[in-house]
Amino acid sequence: MTKEDLIRPENIVKAKPSLMNDTAMHYCPGCSHGVVHRLVAEIIEEMGVSERTIGICPVGCAVFAYRYLDIDWQEAAHGRAPAVATACKRLWNDRLVFTYQGDGDLACIGACETIHALNRGEKITIIFINNAIYGMTGGQMAPTTLLGMKTSTCPYGRQPDLHGYPLNITDLAASLEGTAYVTRQSVHNVAAVLKAKKAIRHAFENSMNGIGSNLVEIVSTCSTGWKTSPVEANKWMEENMFKYYHIGDLKDITKP
Amino acid sequence: MENTDTFLMKGNEAVAHAAIRCGCDGFFGYPITPQSEILETLSALRPWETTGMVVLQAESEIAAINMLYGGGGSGKRVMTSSSSPGVALMQEGISYMTACEIPAVIINVQRGGPGLGTIQPGQSDYLQATIGGGNGDYNMIVLAPASVQDMADFVDQAFQLAFRYRNPVMILSDGVIGQMMEKVTLPPMKPRRTEEEIWEECPWATNGHNLSRRKPNVLSSLEMEAIEMERRNQALQEKYRTIVQKEQRSATYLCDDAEYLFVAYGSVARCAEESVNILREKGIRAGLFRPITLWPYPADALCQFIPQVHLLLACEMNAGQMVNDIRLAINCQRPVFHYGRMGGVVPGPQEMADAMLQLINNP
Repeated sequence: MTKEDLIRPENIVKAKPSLMNDTAMHYCPGCSHGVVHRLVAEIIEEMGVSERTIGICPVGCAVFAYRYLDIDWQEAAHGRAPAVATACKRLWNDRLVFTYQGDGDLACIGACETIHALNRGEKITIIFINNAIYGMTGGQMAPTTLLGMKTSTCPYGRQPDLHGYPLNITDLAASLEGTAYVTRQSVHNVAAVLKAKKAIRHAFENSMNGIGSNLVEIVSTCSTGWKTSPVEANKWMEENMFKYYHIGDLKDITKP
Repeated sequence: MENTDTFLMKGNEAVAHAAIRCGCDGFFGYPITPQSEILETLSALRPWETTGMVVLQAESEIAAINMLYGGGGSGKRVMTSSSSPGVALMQEGISYMTACEIPAVIINVQRGGPGLGTIQPGQSDYLQATIGGGNGDYNMIVLAPASVQDMADFVDQAFQLAFRYRNPVMILSDGVIGQMMEKVTLPPMKPRRTEEEIWEECPWATNGHNLSRRKPNVLSSLEMEAIEMERRNQALQEKYRTIVQKEQRSATYLCDDAEYLFVAYGSVARCAEESVNILREKGIRAGLFRPITLWPYPADALCQFIPQVHLLLACEMNAGQMVNDIRLAINCQRPVFHYGRMGGVVPGPQEMADAMLQLINNP
């Protein structure tokens, strides 16, 4: 029996979303990006809005997201994705406009654009991958880096007197009047993946229905930057990241 | 018959009216003197209720220019305006837009610098605009208005150029032109393009339209392969060469028999017309050459006058930023001098005439 014999519609339990192409991903083993990319592709396909979708890539590991998902993309300058998305959505109000950003891009250099786009209530979704480190540039300290956590620019661990405190920008977002749906999820096991998918779908539907703004944080691992194995990274995330970045919905104005 | 489209208004106000009338889809700006009337006028006119044009006050000039990146990248006609310190903040975005070949219109109502400088008029962003303040090898088409009428007319012209060449276009104005009131005839109303029309004009745009029948559109300036990045640069340079050949624009005042040539743009060109008159009354054959495009520099038109001209005097509200462009344009065949005022001081006709007289009498 050949591979082709096996790949028949009746045998397929879960197929690759049609919006995902076969380009080999540049992400490291164990990275959360691949899972979240897939969720985004699945949801756009299920909602049937691929001809009305504009994705905005960040600077950072997800800079090449446009290589993997076959939708229209703009690659924004570092941190500016929410401003780029603002204009796209205001000018094309029947479109699904989302940004896909990491913690360095969103919470540091782009904090201003992030806060203001969210607070204006832009009808967009921001997908925020928080792995507490700069992945693409080689593991430097991010605003989200936990206290005591070692990175290449805080090799002895993050200390408040030297480096300040971790920035919980999603909690901040939930306090803004302009946000409609703010949630924090993860994708480290099957249950979490299903919840994350539901959250992104809810955010996308809000965006299409003119309800904004929407922020979905995905607490993620960076086994390369954290210098550990993918399995250990997941364990470390559960034991440390979740203590500071609590999983769950922070705000949902669509619920009574 | 009374022309109902003729008004007395500020240059900044004329820009706002012209934007609505030429089918602009969106304006994204941040307040800064001396250009705030553009955003204020648009906000008062509420075009979102008539043409559907979006008007948004951004959180910074950095956000505003990136809104242009997004809006222009999706195929819409978008513009922003600012003044010198704000335009300095936009340089990153402008570099990205040139790299991704995103059309947009940027208006700089210049004030004197450097730094926070002054709110009085200046022209000291000439080099930033013409040779690029951002990173990388790129060019922007730069138009220099010298009247309120130009402010109204250049908006549509700038959009035409921006979309013809898929390149940002800057209207490099100054505080005098932005703030002074003159008679102006506004352009006729032109509807905004439909989605189908945008698709026809911008098949490269990232708006999802027709995705199932085409490859995805991606606008990115990132390229990891050096050879490929060089190829992209070469394609940009080829486009810039075409622009240099086809889009040089200039105007002249009494140049036909001129032996002594003022070269000035913007509000200084208006003053320099009077300097020419002062010298003509003394029997001196003076003329004014006014570049309208500062990039591409109108070298071909300027060179026509070289056989008859003894010397050229560049007059600007800066320390001499255009002088080298003139020298290059005429291949240093004649001496080029400079008379400039800085820090917000506008040179008057008499002092520029005196500067020319001194050069004529003491060559």
